[in-house]
Amino acid sequence: MRIITDTCSECGTVVAANELEAERIMQCPGLSCDAILRFADLPEDARRYFLNHHDEYEL
Amino acid sequence: MKGVLLSGGTGSRLRPITHTGPKQLVPVANKPVIEYAIQDLKAAGVTDIGIVLGHKGRTAIQELLGDGSAYGVDITYIIQGEPLGLAHAAGCARDFVGDDDFVMYLGDNILKAGIVDLIESFDAGEYDAGIALQSVDSPQQFGVADLDDDGTVRNLVEKPDNPPSNLALVGIYVFSPVIFDAIERLEPSWRGELEITDAIQLLIDDGCDIDSHVVTGWWKDTGKPVDILEANRLVLEDQTPEIRGQVDSGAEVTGSVEIDESAVIDSDAVVRGPVSIASDVNIKPGTYVGPYTSIGSNTTLANVHIENSVVIGDTTINANERIVDSLIGRGTTVESAAGSLPEGRRLVVGENSNLKL
Repeated sequence: MRIITDTCSECGTVVAANELEAERIMQCPGLSCDAILRFADLPEDARRYFLNHHDEYEL
Repeated sequence: MKGVLLSGGTGSRLRPITHTGPKQLVPVANKPVIEYAIQDLKAAGVTDIGIVLGHKGRTAIQELLGDGSAYGVDITYIIQGEPLGLAHAAGCARDFVGDDDFVMYLGDNILKAGIVDLIESFDAGEYDAGIALQSVDSPQQFGVADLDDDGTVRNLVEKPDNPPSNLALVGIYVFSPVIFDAIERLEPSWRGELEITDAIQLLIDDGCDIDSHVVTGWWKDTGKPVDILEANRLVLEDQTPEIRGQVDSGAEVTGSVEIDESAVIDSDAVVRGPVSIASDVNIKPGTYVGPYTSIGSNTTLANVHIENSVVIGDTTINANERIVDSLIGRGTTVESAAGSLPEGRRLVVGENSNLKL
């Protein structure tokens, strides 16, 4: 299974795509980081893969 | 070599203690469990550490550990979110790990002997993975390794009816980046998770060499209250006694006892180690603190006899009772009901609590 992540450019916190997709737009979960992370910022092929295999990313 | 410390999970077997915080922050001998793992990684020369967080306690863990500088390490946080298995957690660390080898350590495990030998064993050969093993009495309850005579792993079996050995997988692994390709080929298991044992089995099937290292000394997974008490006992047995606090004349303190400099042991109190007493604790007259007990910070004990127990902290106990084999959550008050009518216990108990009266 492809595991997709994004890295906050401000604090370096890594966030899994399942978390990004659930929130769509979120404040970076790194403590005291104000950066905004978006599912839409992932590369298009990663987003498409994730959405096509959405069930695998849920328990 | 980098470190990946897994700190997700719901801690359901440790409820109600974990209703308000992650299991990795439950203290053993007055130190959060996760700090033992960081200590082991640092002792092995691994100072670049990625901490994988789930939903629960991500803020509390970040607040405790910060950027790692207080521990002499450099910490990067990795948000896994949904608990999709150990292999998924490892996969989330791919960008952090890059082309390095890495140690993956379950953040609620404690090892007596640390991980230096495990890493040295891995580095001594051309291995793609190394697994830590320990002999257990009931291998049917664990993931079990089948080894060649030279210790190379032939096969892994989850909870086998007919175990090929009594060597169970401890939750500590060493991987080369090849593991990420194996993880990418995995499909979720029957329980919907990406299993790390399946990823290692793929490496074995590919002909990769997998090292094994049998851990010496004890190993504890602190997933349940009884495990916390057992880990507390094991750690206290090895502690270096240090009495820095105030021990009044007339108090009796014997055995291996660690007392913080701001703690006070009043006259006519008895402390028999191994015991750990944290900051701002007051042990009042008539109190007995017996072996294998840790008293967390900002706690007052009066008149009680307590042993083989963990009091997490911010607690007051004032009752002429015996408390044994107990795990007492933060902010608890235990008082005497003597003289109150009608006679009887008076309880305010959270969900998933477990009382023996």
